[in-house]
Amino acid sequence: MQVIIILIEILILFAIVMLHVAYATYFERKIIGHMQVRMGPMRVGWHGLLQPIADGIKSFFKEDIVPEQADRITFRAAPIICLVAMMTSLAVLPFAKGWVLADINIGLLFIFAMSSLASYGVILAGWASNSKFTFLGGLRSMAQVISYEIAMGLSLVGVMMLSGTLNLTKIVEAQGGSFTGMYVFPQIIAFFVFFISMLAETNRVPFDLPEAETELVSGYCTEYSGMRYAIFFMAEYIGMMVMASIGTICFLGGWNGPFEVSIFPPFWFVLKVYAFMFLFIWIRATLPRYRYDQLMSLGWKLLIPLALANIVLTGLFKAIIG
Amino acid sequence: MQVQYKPKRNLLETILHTEIMQGMALTLKRLFSKPITRQYPQEKPPIQLGFRGQHALVRDPETGGSKCIACMRCVTVCPSRCIHIRYQVDEEKNCRVVESYDIEALRCVYCGFCEEVCPVNALVLTEVFEYAAYDRESIFFDQEKLLKNWDDFAEMKGSAINNYVNPFWRPRGLPEKYLAAAKRVNVPEEWTVEGQVVGHLAKEQ
Repeated sequence: MQVIIILIEILILFAIVMLHVAYATYFERKIIGHMQVRMGPMRVGWHGLLQPIADGIKSFFKEDIVPEQADRITFRAAPIICLVAMMTSLAVLPFAKGWVLADINIGLLFIFAMSSLASYGVILAGWASNSKFTFLGGLRSMAQVISYEIAMGLSLVGVMMLSGTLNLTKIVEAQGGSFTGMYVFPQIIAFFVFFISMLAETNRVPFDLPEAETELVSGYCTEYSGMRYAIFFMAEYIGMMVMASIGTICFLGGWNGPFEVSIFPPFWFVLKVYAFMFLFIWIRATLPRYRYDQLMSLGWKLLIPLALANIVLTGLFKAIIG
Repeated sequence: MQVQYKPKRNLLETILHTEIMQGMALTLKRLFSKPITRQYPQEKPPIQLGFRGQHALVRDPETGGSKCIACMRCVTVCPSRCIHIRYQVDEEKNCRVVESYDIEALRCVYCGFCEEVCPVNALVLTEVFEYAAYDRESIFFDQEKLLKNWDDFAEMKGSAINNYVNPFWRPRGLPEKYLAAAKRVNVPEEWTVEGQVVGHLAKEQ
């Protein structure tokens, strides 16, 4: 019985997240379009509202091409690794009090592990396609993820020190319901570091070097077509949502808001995640891409020292006050 | 000359990312501006005065045929040589009779010289611009087709066709005495040399 309930919960979560992924692409196109004084999708349905569904059907029925020189097994496995790793991290996210599939004590660590695993998918895709563009994309992704994973992990150490736990639910509860209790205020440096490494982790502009269109065609997914390409796309958007959720949980007080919405407990959580997503899109519409050496020097020379300094400061603060 | 790529910033501006914030403010402002996209098939672009579109031979209401007198001026002036006319001389009436009048619209560069030079305003480049076709034959216009083009255009314009004046029928900048009688038509004020607004005058407006 327990298993069936959990399965149903997983199905519901899966369906909702997939719907969000589909409409995240729609809103991204729409918002970027309007920011560029265009309209974005307008044809399918009212103001293009059915566009994501049309895109889904199109990519589902497209021919699935595997390049002749590609390593077939790895080529086929790579997108699945990406998607599975990203979807798994959804399991530990607390959407509201008690609204979590697996309330484990190492939630934060689990998410780091899974987002690192997802980068394997990207690297393997780049390697298995046997093409120079995908290979360069995969290499860049590897270097980028390694550099920014450190900064991101270190930035969240401050949050762990303040809350004294890795359990995501407990981190939210440690922040309390008040506005000033949010960790974004005592951990402003950590939030800054986290935000930038979050953009880099999810391969978003201005750190989209692994899939830089202007130089690498489409980076690691150049050789992919049809549904496999769509799976990479989904993984990227789920990654964005997971990172936005981590930001919300660790810095913005999770599901707590100015007042309780009893009919829909995750209301504030969802709102904060949407705000993060909007920020992602807004940044994409505004900023150009970093150069590769700038990316590396920003990660290693600025973010990691800042995150380390933040840990020391937090430690000193805790030692003096508490 | 040394180009300074990085503008000087003080420490506070660096920390607060003022330049990035300026950019973000700009894109946010644009988010709420009206898009300039025109939803084309539903929303047609406005046709400006002097638009040069599909070719047509004006149907003369008196004879029911074209006004062309086979003077060959359009053939002579055409830079892409896409107009072909064959004619016979009617010895009795002492005039030329058009046998065939063909325009290869695919070769046309839409310069409008032909309608400017025509002494009887027989030829016109209409405001119709959606006549793409799947085969070359349907964009090769013979006399019947050119007359039909005019009928279609007349239908599109409705009653306004009765006092339709193509501005190219009266070339700019020529005094009245140099124009053939048929070309002394009344064109809109903004089409005349004095009335047209170009260059710095347009900017001031």
